[in-house]
Amino acid sequence: MMTLILRRLASLPIILLVIYTITLTLAWAVPGNPLENPEKRPKPEVVEQMKKQYNLDSFPRFYVSYLSSATGFAYAKDWISGELSREREAAIAAGFPPAQRPVFDLGPSLEYDDWTVNEIVRGALPVSITLGAAAILIALIIGLGAGVIGAVKPNSIADLCTLTIAMIGISLPGFVIGTALLLVFAVLVPLFPVGGWGGPSKAILPAVTLSLPFAAYIARLTRMGMIESLGADYIRTARAKGASERAVLYKHALKNAFLPVLSFLGPATALAMTGSFVIEKVFTIPGMGQHFVNGVQNKDLFLIMGVVLIFATMLILFNLVVDVLYRWVDPRID
Amino acid sequence: MSRMLIPIAVLVVLVAVSVFGDRPQPRADLTFINSSEVNTLDPQRMSWMHDLRTARLLFEGLVKNDVLSDGFEIIPGVAESWELSDDARTYTFRFRDDAKWTNGEPVTAHDFVYSWRRAMLPDLVSDYVAMFMNIDGARAFYDWRQEQLDGFMEREYASPQAQRDASYALWEETKEQFDAMVGLRAIDDRTLEVMLERPVPYFLELCAFTVFAPVYEPLVAQYERPDPTTARLVRRPGWTKGGVLVSNGPFKLDEWRFKRDMRMSKSEHYWDRDSIAIRTVSIPSISDPNAGVLAYQTGSIDWISDVTSPYRGDMVAQKLAFLEEHKERVEELQAQGYDQFSITRMLPDDPRAHTHAVSSFGTYFYNFNCKPRLPDGRENPFADARVRRAFAMCIDKPAIAREVRRLGEPSASTLIPPGSIGGYTSPKGLPNIGDAVSEEERQKIIDTAKALLEEANFPDDFVVELAFNKDAGHDLIGQAIAKSWQKSLGVQTSLSQKEIKIFREDLKNKQYMTARAGWFGDYGDPTTFLDINHSQDGNNDRAYNNPVYDQLLADAANELDPEKRMTLLSEAERIIMEEDLPMVPIFYYATIYMFDAKKLTGLSTHPRTKQNAFLIDMLGDGIGPDLPRPMNPDSIQIGGVSP
Repeated sequence: MMTLILRRLASLPIILLVIYTITLTLAWAVPGNPLENPEKRPKPEVVEQMKKQYNLDSFPRFYVSYLSSATGFAYAKDWISGELSREREAAIAAGFPPAQRPVFDLGPSLEYDDWTVNEIVRGALPVSITLGAAAILIALIIGLGAGVIGAVKPNSIADLCTLTIAMIGISLPGFVIGTALLLVFAVLVPLFPVGGWGGPSKAILPAVTLSLPFAAYIARLTRMGMIESLGADYIRTARAKGASERAVLYKHALKNAFLPVLSFLGPATALAMTGSFVIEKVFTIPGMGQHFVNGVQNKDLFLIMGVVLIFATMLILFNLVVDVLYRWVDPRID
Repeated sequence: MSRMLIPIAVLVVLVAVSVFGDRPQPRADLTFINSSEVNTLDPQRMSWMHDLRTARLLFEGLVKNDVLSDGFEIIPGVAESWELSDDARTYTFRFRDDAKWTNGEPVTAHDFVYSWRRAMLPDLVSDYVAMFMNIDGARAFYDWRQEQLDGFMEREYASPQAQRDASYALWEETKEQFDAMVGLRAIDDRTLEVMLERPVPYFLELCAFTVFAPVYEPLVAQYERPDPTTARLVRRPGWTKGGVLVSNGPFKLDEWRFKRDMRMSKSEHYWDRDSIAIRTVSIPSISDPNAGVLAYQTGSIDWISDVTSPYRGDMVAQKLAFLEEHKERVEELQAQGYDQFSITRMLPDDPRAHTHAVSSFGTYFYNFNCKPRLPDGRENPFADARVRRAFAMCIDKPAIAREVRRLGEPSASTLIPPGSIGGYTSPKGLPNIGDAVSEEERQKIIDTAKALLEEANFPDDFVVELAFNKDAGHDLIGQAIAKSWQKSLGVQTSLSQKEIKIFREDLKNKQYMTARAGWFGDYGDPTTFLDINHSQDGNNDRAYNNPVYDQLLADAANELDPEKRMTLLSEAERIIMEEDLPMVPIFYYATIYMFDAKKLTGLSTHPRTKQNAFLIDMLGDGIGPDLPRPMNPDSIQIGGVSP
């Protein structure tokens, strides 16, 4: 187990480096000038200097400098070499208060002057994680429930209903379901607020919307797994020894059927927690998803790289957690 | 099985803790939304309309506009009085002694010197740096600093430390240079002297513009320092956040959560605090236009300052139908001189009445690339003014305003919305096929245009390209214009839709043939529109270059007599709108508001559409006088939109 964790952790930087390289190359190639203002244009020489200051005039320089400051390498280097304290002293001597430098510096937002990418992520990530966790919970409850119902009486009306609903959950895009839920439960029957964030009442509709595709997938996985295990020998044995139907279903069959669900949960949780652009837009949620899209639209290089690196790290870590859980839940797997 | 429940239990706890930990705040006295997130609250850096609108709640300049008066008069702000010298070049502002920052410290003349210096630095890349160039010595100072920065980059340094020290030394020198070069002086804490390069008749208008508002030096200076490698003064974000920002306006910033919301409360140190009828303001960030309208309909928002939902045309149509139902009463009230918001307030309650179209001091137009060659190297037929004129006449502008935009906007024949600037007479503009009263007249205009094309040897089977960015219905307008040209001039057209960033880049580099554009005025003088066609202007996307035009602008700048000056400017606009046509104006923009006029009052209907949200009073909430705040009854509604 330890070896697995260590091996995975060791490969994390390499995977991140590959993702970083590919993303930065693509983002760099996007046409448009991130420093371009909508109407009033600065003089060309001013733009040149701004580009230099952010290393936007040279791909290799940007590549190296961003990587080293985002990973904390630049901070560590300056700390060890004593540059950090020299910088401090020089600033104080010149009459400037010392600047707080973050260890992991994801850079400034080029589009939103008043924010650093660190601040943006600090505000958005907790929102997305909460919403994602809530969605996965709802997905588990709905999905497992529907899956078990379907498996107990395959091809019954209940089964067909859950299958159909699951199919709809997978096929319909979030903005359709989200808008429909909003119109029904916020406008026609004003049970919930129309959007925003803060407090449970605002979280329910978006969490349900976000959970539906996951719920549908979990329902199908559970149903298949249950049907398979209900036909297995050990279930017959369990029934033969006189175990109650309840115990057979939940203790024996569901346990095995849950394993594929568990492995699906890793990437699903990462996906749910890094935000959905569409759901955030429909429900006005200040999460991470919007920054993926807006960052690219504005060619806000620092923001793009910041959110991609965070997302990649989360994805890798969640997969690792799931692998560990997997072995813990089912010690036969090694 | 129990093991499986542990991850689920962890999830439950996580969700419960964070959902219940994030308590919603109580409703503010006023909740309004902008069309997108505020980009910056640094007055010297801002240029977006929603930034300016928001910042006017927090900051106050030397003077301000009385937005509820018909003349949009200049009234005292931080300055309680001012004098202009006989040669009209030196302003002396006297500060009121109760002008205070939100921390209780007095606002001084030194604060203005500091803030205006920030704006004049090339380092800060202020979008409105050109406005500050009216101050004596500002241009020379800007150029000097830029030269020093260029020199700094080219020099070699013994060590990074030496380079850093040099950057700090240059900054010290810059401050001294500023004091020596620029005609801006704090005579004492309460007296500010401003020397202008030449008489600038609209200088007080500039002072009322938020970019000229002060920032609090002891705070801001902590966040700015020279970059050790480029010597440019870099600003770190941080001081514009809630609880940190120190400002001098009616409100103080309590909280700003990125793309989430902003909350303000009345400043207890603002000198005119007794006139403020709202205690708290909340500005949620709702970027989806439909979500904004839904939020309004469910009552969580009091005012949408810019409705951009795709169905807003229908909303305006319903409002017009509502007014039609009460036609007699409306006409009666109009005759009594009531403004459109007051009229709506006096009509019966109706959800349709919550939509309001107001004219917004901006013009939608199409640019012609005036360079002799097209991007692909071919000869550019649009370099010939006759061709531009012919194409300009043959766009059915009223049809576009009526059928494509559907917001009740008037079609445009000039760049400057007529009637928006006092004392200025707009030129007539070219005849347009859409304005023709008969088929005969229409045909005559088309024949004139065709003759112009023939004269200019407009090539056969030339494909005219129309470029636009892909959002906000520009595609439909592009199609309508293309159809107009195909039908009346028999030319071929192609439409080219681009991502906004790329589109802007193309405009700047003149990589287009014809392209959509728009311009909003910043201050109450024709130059706010006309300057963009000056051959040397950074916003001259058309590469238009007419020495006569440039000379007229220069003459106007040197003309001391206001009336003569306006005549010169009017002649300049006539040249671009009747002869040279570097751009074709299509319509004058309207902005769509949503609010209940029976509940909310204090918004202006002046064609300049600058809203000072601190004037708002929520009727019947028991705070403030709770009386309607109409426009001055004599308010003129020229160039404006029907209510």
